[in-house]
Amino acid sequence: MNDATAAGRRPGSRAVAQAGLRPTLDRRRVLQLMLALPAAATVVAGCSGATTDRHDRPDPLLALADAARADAALAAAVIAADPTVAARIDPLRAARTEHAAALDAEIVRVGGVPSTATPSTAPAVGTTGPSAPAGATGTAAPAPAATVARMREAVAASQRGAAGLVPDLPAERVGLVASVAACCATYAAVLA
Amino acid sequence: MSSGSARLDDVAVGALQDVLGTEHAALWCYSLALAFLPPAQVAAARTDAAAHRELRAQIEVTLTQLGQRPVSAQPAYATPQPVSDAASAAGLLVTAETDAAAAWRSVLERSTDRALRRAGLQALTDTAARCARWRAVVGTQPAVPVFPGRP
Repeated sequence: MNDATAAGRRPGSRAVAQAGLRPTLDRRRVLQLMLALPAAATVVAGCSGATTDRHDRPDPLLALADAARADAALAAAVIAADPTVAARIDPLRAARTEHAAALDAEIVRVGGVPSTATPSTAPAVGTTGPSAPAGATGTAAPAPAATVARMREAVAASQRGAAGLVPDLPAERVGLVASVAACCATYAAVLA
Repeated sequence: MSSGSARLDDVAVGALQDVLGTEHAALWCYSLALAFLPPAQVAAARTDAAAHRELRAQIEVTLTQLGQRPVSAQPAYATPQPVSDAASAAGLLVTAETDAAAAWRSVLERSTDRALRRAGLQALTDTAARCARWRAVVGTQPAVPVFPGRP
């Protein structure tokens, strides 16, 4: 669960590339540079303000965690409204729940406090109109109901929110947010 | 080490060399898998291989422009599992895309260049979509990786 480890290579990667990929760069030199990354990153990012004023503004990951919770709640509502889509939507619900937990953990890691607002079954972010409470029956007809189409819109909006942060996030956070964006993008495509 | 119009530091260059090595490996995996995949999956595999070929070319151009010599492909790679039928071939493609995702995520973590970050995110996103398709073929649940590229 440690997303802070930059540049980690998966065991599988080694398995596939067991023949040994040999970059022209000297390995020890790369290692030294990686150890020096935080300082180097600050210098390079200085002009874009990537690592400045993090103490003055709310953690940008708070909005992503809230969106993840809202997506999970919407997914549950979508399944409640139409159980036949459970096989398609439940993995998304589970994924967004995991995203929220991982984002909260990262917020805590830097000394922040994660959002305590527990989303109701009615999602608050990126969606409009009332949604049927989970478990309600006979509410499939109204337009703003929890539908797969609305789910797709919500997860696409979540993708945009996460992707927008990627260019400027510090190195130790960008991997997690990029993974969340890529996962949301894939669901948005799959549900289209 | 860096010269000419180099705007990336050596760490980012190293990440690009690593992801290039992973793209070489992915292309090798696709060429092997194509020999075993059923006709219904061949078109998708060819499309995916073409995407990797394009990525590989882009990385090589980028490295060359930075005054770096792009790493070469290995003659062959060891597969984690023997590839002998359609299922194991699709499984190899899951491994290839999973490795590619990890390498692209690492590019993001090892660079602060905003343009490279954007390009890397696009590549990570595309590889996650390909990975999800092959995971579905294999029957891995969930088909969509929850944290694409996480080590």
